[in-house]
Amino acid sequence: MTLEPDRCITCSDEAVAASVVVIDGVEATVAVDGHQEHVAIDLVPDAQPGDVLLCHAGIALERLEAAR
Amino acid sequence: MKFVDEYRSPDLARALSAEIAELVEPGEIVRIMEVCGGHTHTIYRHGLEDLLPPEVELVHGPGCPVCVIPMGRVDDAIALSEQPGVTLATFGDMLRVPGGRGSLLEAKARGADVRMVYSPLDALALARKESDRHVVFFAIGFETTAPATAVTLLRARAEGVENFGVFCNHVTIEPPLRAILETPGLRVDGFVGPGHVSTVIGTDAYRFIPEEFVRPVVVSAFEPVDILQSIAMLLRQRREGRCEVENQYTRVVRPEGNARALAAIDETMELRDAFEWRGLGMLPRSALKLRPTFAVWDAEVRYPLPGVQIADPKACQCGEVLTGQIKPWECGVFGTACTPERPLGTCMVSSEGACAAFYAYGRLRRPVSERILA
Repeated sequence: MTLEPDRCITCSDEAVAASVVVIDGVEATVAVDGHQEHVAIDLVPDAQPGDVLLCHAGIALERLEAAR
Repeated sequence: MKFVDEYRSPDLARALSAEIAELVEPGEIVRIMEVCGGHTHTIYRHGLEDLLPPEVELVHGPGCPVCVIPMGRVDDAIALSEQPGVTLATFGDMLRVPGGRGSLLEAKARGADVRMVYSPLDALALARKESDRHVVFFAIGFETTAPATAVTLLRARAEGVENFGVFCNHVTIEPPLRAILETPGLRVDGFVGPGHVSTVIGTDAYRFIPEEFVRPVVVSAFEPVDILQSIAMLLRQRREGRCEVENQYTRVVRPEGNARALAAIDETMELRDAFEWRGLGMLPRSALKLRPTFAVWDAEVRYPLPGVQIADPKACQCGEVLTGQIKPWECGVFGTACTPERPLGTCMVSSEGACAAFYAYGRLRRPVSERILA
């Protein structure tokens, strides 16, 4: 994920919220901060378009409450 | 941006600042450790210390995974990158961490095939694409990052991708917290608990802190209002005579964590007997290695590694910074021999490192505070 250049986005206890645009099997296209990324949804397999996922190091860790 | 803007509201921050001031007695000192480097970064970036009364002192914890990797493991990664046919892939920050033989970036300059990736899944994709290379992912991180490595290993096995491997350096959050809590003379009155680690392991994982060490914990999200609210929750527990684990990050963290993520870690990894931590030394059962069933993908099984322990440079005080004993600006080489451009210690490498965060968002000499150790 890429978000703000001054934040540790690659390795640490940092994750970003991203909205699901399209689901394709165990992958989702998500929109974050004006651009799109692909994340694995193996750990949130019931994600749906419109859900907001907490994503870190290329995978979705959890769904945010407001979207549950 | 949704889930960000509402947690950066100046009005809410001001209200919480006033609430915090009311929750302390004039003249007392309440020391709160923020465990996670992400919190440290937010605190400096948004100047949160300036919103706190002098009675509240924040001390930085061990939760920056780049910062806690010892020099010997960096040298092992460099040795891996020098193996014929090996492509070493890792996160950007790790490229700049100095080991005893320089950094991975310097190894790359010498001709090693070192690549930066954003995800272990990118390293697996690289292995699929370059079938003549053995792509080794240098995996670091707490329980936040371990699930990504675990999912990648499960996919590698399912797809039979055997020119992929993992050099596993994942660590767990409980042992360093125990080590800090068991430090004689420790003076920390409460903990702002890590948020994203907790999406995986859940808030119940911290119950040992109030139950065994009688310190409150509030698991916190990462925006400025979140952290101020967590500090207020800790102080309110203190005021009301409570000592428990509370969850400020309710929009994503659950008491039990994410069962799927924990299962993926458990299927692919197991605890090591011991692991060396920068600043904390060898800690028993504090890190993960691949299970024997994943030996095909285990770089430590496949390649000989130096495995040498290397002492930090004498001038470097990362260990004391990581355990909250000194503030970044109290280190003798902060901002002089050690800068983000030429880091001597790991805390200056990662943007979540306390030294890098303070260097980026303040860099003013501050008065030396009273030590947290009596």
